[in-house]
Amino acid sequence: MLILGIETATEQVGVAIGGHEGVIATFEVAKGRRHAETLTPAIEFVCRQSGIELCELGCIAVDVGPGLFTGMRVGLAAGKALSQALRVPMIGIPSLDLLAFTCRHVDRVIVPVIDARKNEVFWAMYRPVPGGVQQVSPPTVGPVDDLVGDLLARSQDVLCIGDGAERYRDEITEGFRCEISGPMYPSVGMLVLLAHARALREEGVRPDEIEPIYLRAPDAQINWAVRGARP
Amino acid sequence: MLLRVDDLTGTHAVAAAIAGVARVGDVIVLAGDMGAGKTAFAQGFGRALGVTEPITSPTFTLVHSYPLSRRLTLHHADIYRLERTSDIDDLALPELAAFNGIVLVEWGDVAGSALGDHLEVRLNHVDDVDDDDDGDAADRDEPVDQPVDQPVVTSGDDFADAGTREIELRAVGPAWAGRWDRIARAVESFRC
Repeated sequence: MLILGIETATEQVGVAIGGHEGVIATFEVAKGRRHAETLTPAIEFVCRQSGIELCELGCIAVDVGPGLFTGMRVGLAAGKALSQALRVPMIGIPSLDLLAFTCRHVDRVIVPVIDARKNEVFWAMYRPVPGGVQQVSPPTVGPVDDLVGDLLARSQDVLCIGDGAERYRDEITEGFRCEISGPMYPSVGMLVLLAHARALREEGVRPDEIEPIYLRAPDAQINWAVRGARP
Repeated sequence: MLLRVDDLTGTHAVAAAIAGVARVGDVIVLAGDMGAGKTAFAQGFGRALGVTEPITSPTFTLVHSYPLSRRLTLHHADIYRLERTSDIDDLALPELAAFNGIVLVEWGDVAGSALGDHLEVRLNHVDDVDDDDDGDAADRDEPVDQPVDQPVVTSGDDFADAGTREIELRAVGPAWAGRWDRIARAVESFRC
């Protein structure tokens, strides 16, 4: 079965096609932050260069975040549109899972960290298990200090990866001695491989069942009456 | 920092001065009652950056974007019509700023921490200042979970563009603190 993967949850735009023979074609651009302008031409390019027609696809895989609101929305909208038009199922995989899976061969706790802007980061913790990774602490959003506190509390050998780990390298290593290396962004090739395995197990869902992971602050009614009240 | 302008031209001049100090990644909150000059400020700000299209209030379209170059887009948002903080989050305004943007947010003072570091520009009719204080005090006595009310309108000339305004500048977070001296110099002639 051929899978089209779409990854737009970070600054990177990634498109890949793969199947039982592995990843066939990959397109990744990590500069410019032009998700809306880049994504559709990228899908067309990848299909044309690999000689694959859209109608041959059996499943659409998307990175469902957490990550950039603006980027995720572009990727999810495009993925859902394709899924509906082609009448094929979708598979959503979290960005943090993708990052962690790339480092599944290390013998340490893996902590993917994605830049959430406004001086906050998304992170979760994983440990390597045979054949993949297992999440040991759930996805969280918060200031870098909270991440460092979390690392200190766990107090184990840790590998931090992702654009958030890179950006806040000094803050993290100052608070907790750990290694920061590995990929900056989730790999869209990895997305296709993981999705293929799940598609074979018939874990695909309808497009309306795919939801982005925002991890944002709790919703509340805007209190217009106290508008302007000083903190 | 408290400024005073005598007319619309003054509001435009202050906006232009702040535009000269603003840079990519900035979020600027425009606060104040209806007719206080929030959109006028946005117009002066946009002109100073080189926007040639008419700048109108985005109350019903939520966000207007004015691409100025590959490196800069001015986004003008108005959250007056929104009722929930998740609606504000959906607009992802800090991301728009981070992506080669400068973002102006009318009524953004209700959004609190959702906007991250920002500069708050509060515009007030000078004649209204006392009335506003009374209004705010009365508002705070009301239960917090009351239905969303329209902001209190305290005077009949709210939509008038003429008249003296007080403009209060306040930095929220460190992004603007480092530029405070430059802002102070840029708006020196309007200081109270």
